[in-house]
Amino acid sequence: MDAGRSARIGVDIGGTFTDIVLQTADGELHQSKVPTRPDDMAAAVVEGMGALLGSVGLPPDTVREVVHGTTVGSNAILQRRGARTGLITTHGFRDVLEIGRIRTPEMFDLSWVKPEPLVPRRWRVEVEERIGADGAIVRPLDRDGLLERCAWLVSEGVEAVAICFLNSYVNPAHEQAAREAISAAFPDLVLTASCDVLPEIKEYERTSTTVVNAYLLKEMRAYLERLSEQLATAGFDAPLLVMSSAGGVMGAGQVAQKPVFAVGSGPAGGVIGAARLSQESGVRHAIVFDMGGTTAKASVVDDGAPMLTSEYEFRDGISSPSRFVKGGGYMLKVPAIDIAEVGAGGGSIAWIDAGGLLRVGPHSAGADPGPAAYGAGNGLPTVTDANVHLGLLNPVALAGGTMPIHAALATEALRRHVAEPLGLSVDAAAHGVRELANAAMARAIRAVTVESGRDPRDFTLIACGGSGPLHAADLARQLGIGRVVVPIMSGVFCSVGMLASDVEHNLSRALVAQLDDCAAEDFDAVAGALRDEAEAVLRAEGFAANRIGLGFAADMRYLGQSADLTVPFAPGPFGPDLRERLRTDFLAAYHAAFGYADDTAVELVTLRVAASGAREAPLRFTGAGARVAGADGIAASERMVAFGRDAPFAPVPVVGRDAITSTPRPGPLVIEAYDTTVAVPPSCSVAVDNCGSLVLTLDDL
Amino acid sequence: MQTDPITFAVIKNALDSIADEMAYTVLRTARSEIVKDVMDYSAAVCGRDGSMLAQAKTIALHLGAVPEAMAHVFERFGDDINPGDAIILNDPYQGGMHLPDIFMFVPIFHDDALQGFGVVICHHTDVGGRVPGSNASDSTEIYQEGLRLPVLKLYDRGKPNAMLFEIIERNVRLPDRVIGDLKAQYAACHVGAREIRKLFDRYGVETCQGYFSELLDYAERMTREQIAAWPDGTWHFIDHLDNDGFTDTPIPISVAITVEGDQLIVDYEGSAAQVPAALNSTKSYTNSCTYLSVRSVLKGDVPNNAGVFRCIEVRAPKASILDPVLPAACAARALTGYRVVDAMLGALAQIVPDRVPAAGEGGNTVVSLGGYVEGRPFIIVDMICGAWGGRPDRDGVEAITNPSQNLSNTPVEVMERQHPVRIEDYALIRDSAGPGKWRGGLGIARAYRLLSPSASLQLRSDRVTHQPYGLAGGGCGRATHNTLTTGDKEVALLGKVTRTMVQGQVLRHEQAGAGGFGDPLERAPEHVAQDVWNDKISAAYALRWHGVVVDPATGALDAEATARERACRLAPETPA
Repeated sequence: MDAGRSARIGVDIGGTFTDIVLQTADGELHQSKVPTRPDDMAAAVVEGMGALLGSVGLPPDTVREVVHGTTVGSNAILQRRGARTGLITTHGFRDVLEIGRIRTPEMFDLSWVKPEPLVPRRWRVEVEERIGADGAIVRPLDRDGLLERCAWLVSEGVEAVAICFLNSYVNPAHEQAAREAISAAFPDLVLTASCDVLPEIKEYERTSTTVVNAYLLKEMRAYLERLSEQLATAGFDAPLLVMSSAGGVMGAGQVAQKPVFAVGSGPAGGVIGAARLSQESGVRHAIVFDMGGTTAKASVVDDGAPMLTSEYEFRDGISSPSRFVKGGGYMLKVPAIDIAEVGAGGGSIAWIDAGGLLRVGPHSAGADPGPAAYGAGNGLPTVTDANVHLGLLNPVALAGGTMPIHAALATEALRRHVAEPLGLSVDAAAHGVRELANAAMARAIRAVTVESGRDPRDFTLIACGGSGPLHAADLARQLGIGRVVVPIMSGVFCSVGMLASDVEHNLSRALVAQLDDCAAEDFDAVAGALRDEAEAVLRAEGFAANRIGLGFAADMRYLGQSADLTVPFAPGPFGPDLRERLRTDFLAAYHAAFGYADDTAVELVTLRVAASGAREAPLRFTGAGARVAGADGIAASERMVAFGRDAPFAPVPVVGRDAITSTPRPGPLVIEAYDTTVAVPPSCSVAVDNCGSLVLTLDDL
Repeated sequence: MQTDPITFAVIKNALDSIADEMAYTVLRTARSEIVKDVMDYSAAVCGRDGSMLAQAKTIALHLGAVPEAMAHVFERFGDDINPGDAIILNDPYQGGMHLPDIFMFVPIFHDDALQGFGVVICHHTDVGGRVPGSNASDSTEIYQEGLRLPVLKLYDRGKPNAMLFEIIERNVRLPDRVIGDLKAQYAACHVGAREIRKLFDRYGVETCQGYFSELLDYAERMTREQIAAWPDGTWHFIDHLDNDGFTDTPIPISVAITVEGDQLIVDYEGSAAQVPAALNSTKSYTNSCTYLSVRSVLKGDVPNNAGVFRCIEVRAPKASILDPVLPAACAARALTGYRVVDAMLGALAQIVPDRVPAAGEGGNTVVSLGGYVEGRPFIIVDMICGAWGGRPDRDGVEAITNPSQNLSNTPVEVMERQHPVRIEDYALIRDSAGPGKWRGGLGIARAYRLLSPSASLQLRSDRVTHQPYGLAGGGCGRATHNTLTTGDKEVALLGKVTRTMVQGQVLRHEQAGAGGFGDPLERAPEHVAQDVWNDKISAAYALRWHGVVVDPATGALDAEATARERACRLAPETPA
């Protein structure tokens, strides 16, 4: 194969469009949007890839890898399309899955409905066995009873079975024995034991995670097989990789075993792309802000690394940025990028509540019928309508002229549903809707910054998604952020990001000991075992030693606490130096987060390693790196735009992205591209940086 | 003042997220299970006059008590409130609720002027007294219940009050946990103050203060608008606590709600006199329970602040169980509070029948076990919840916090790793739901086997003799049952127990199921069959309460037999 004629492809399947980005070996990027086909997602992917390759003049066998962000997992849960799943538990504990953690996500709501467990009570069966908290066997496993219960589940049409026994995180012997016995007797049953997915304390979190894994196995396997087959039939022979919720890529085979690790696969790409971008453009602390039609997401990237969370609740609807809320969804205790999501997007509907307060969202007009300005039948005002009324969005057509816009409908919707009820002018109403959406989105940003004790003013805002660059500068000003970066292809940036990720495995081992008492040989043994395991996994995937990177960290806390802080450390023999460095770094991190630190005992909980394998040709934004194929070619023009309530309508230049150079150009200005529109307000200037991004610099910040 | 609707909404959201952020800080920094796992704590932001502006999604019932506590803080320290102070109290007779709940107030200063308070209330694992966990329901005087703290400064201008720290350390069984949790409160208040100051920086102090007042007015306006739509008149309801643990006499909680235009008057005349047990609810806690009940039936997103309180006048007879005087004991006052909420909701159901569910489990059960393992003390304070009653348009909920709290649970594996117990069962109880067109949630069971040589047991439960009520023709939930098993010998226990447990004994608590809503014979037969299929009710229950015939093995509905059965039940009785 001619290396100069090869390509890599990133594919992100959204609710409306499937975004495909192709990078040729010389770094050129090509994009394509094809309608998502819910009935056969794989077909749309394969056809879209074929068409894009055709336009570039490359045959399918020149594709070296396909990286895929999939919502198969998340959709299977939301739409309850997973396997008929059974659960086998320790006697007395069949209801752990349903009992959960008891809390409700909202208060004072007596009409609240608890999410239905993925396994109904009928198919949650108990067997006699018991492991003590110390790992000792209190009661042996009743194999006959186990197989009897299994036979009954099979007779009920159950297709997948999760096994979760109490205290199996200390001693997995019974779970392993049960798994072996069942797979021997019922080879067609899809099986997951909790010790193979999440060998960690807390039975509800472990059970829930294991059940989700079992629930998704069948569908994820079928989907990946179908996609692989269709790719092969179409002449693609490249390996299929899948984004994990944590933003690494996993081989399709791994995902077919542990789909629970890829439930958050969809949105991870954008954060990984932003992480790569921030490395290359020298941004140390970035907030990645992704605004779509229904929701806006925010995530933090520090020193080029995304912020990971060790557990999250997957739910229908909108995540609360308040992270101590429990009970709203399915608990997944797997590493995931910490993404806060709020119900404010371009399609969010503005309304007036009973107390006379203006509200925006969480209801969305979606893509169909969409905002009032689309003229498809929705008469309620949305955030996009406010942007159209204010001239920030093109009042004639969007997406390079393919999507017609009816500005008068936007204005009328705002007048009737916001301006008149509140006694405001339509202009003031439009500003109000925009500012409220900004306030809600600021909550998502606060959730990933302020709530962890981080000041947003220390960050650069990286804006992507179709609507992100239209609001980013205002959000930045509201939060005191001085710099906004709009990357190349920001409207399809999730797919771009998929080409930027490394192969990554996150491994952990428990090491519970007080820092002062921890024996050097224990620490070194655990760290060494982690290193060996990480290197072995990556070697097996074909990575040479010089392409393997290991990042060590320790989860630490004060004795008695349940929540840990993760403190990175440089590996080396555990002596007084490392001990003191860990303590110092922990105290500093603790003080930064919580405003105090005392001298009580500090405990080690878990050692972790993030093991990455560098891919041969990851995406580069700089140098001879990414070039976006095909200039936008938008002719410069002018229209009336109102950037804020203190900046009335005035003629503002409208230019294509290619009109901006490395010489700063002052706002006000609107920049239009095929995939997005960028608002450059007054008191702000814009220039292109070394990565091809538009950089907005806010005055006085 | 001229209010800008946008700035107003932004400030409202900011206050909510600051309160949540304070709560999150407590969760991450606390050191005892009752706080970090069970989440028995609350956080709020108050204005400079002490009015509560916003509360986190935590224990709602704590926060109606803040106004009175705040009044005592001002009374004690007046102008002597300074930057760096942290003021604590737990005395039920000086603004507190019961001794384990320690309130902390940290003043927020901006440009040398007092502008508000961060408030965090935590239930502490132990505050001394005669029983580990300081939670006994059978204390007869407050002097038995532990360390009683008047309004005091734990930090004075940033300097720790060493004497007070020492007094606390000497008087509690687990000083590491208690001091650690006090520091978690301190950290959370500081995080709140830091964030509020950022709000002042952004919008200006006086602008913010103007909006803070407007936020209270807004909540009041929203509340009054709804109350005004309710019919004028007086509605009565009476519910009971089983007894005080010493006698079999039921304890009535009687309420009369009067709607007068857009104002509510809630009068507890007719409720029991204060009792010589720890069930006495301070007036501040009674107020809390009243506010919360009303707030729970309001429609829409009314802010949880002091503006709601202004619309409700609460009256309770002095020296009653709802406004006790010294030396009444208060440790188990939460139980009485739950019954206040049940009585309130029973009365409200007559005013807004489409918004009120049948009775829930009756409040969380508290299991306290304390003792020593190889000379080291251990204390378990475990809370068991719960079930919601059937609702006017849907079933109740099982395995759920009482809606007047927002508690979590201690994971079995965490409990077993920390303490000498083995949990033998944690499960829903089949057939325990109150039947109705919309059934109540199932009750929940939890069983504890003691692994240490001995421990003192404190069990606080109720609804053994007074089951959770149904509404609109719905049936009661199954009663609470407690048993103690020694070897193969099982004995029934009462609702409130203080005794010694020895190694190998198993305490089993079966909590009451929730009441049903509407006539059980009107329940859709498919829903009944689904419950049988899903093993939540038996075929016998389906037949007995719903007149629905279901195959017990397959859950299949026999529609014909059901029609015959129901026709027969609905037909007027004919003489033989």
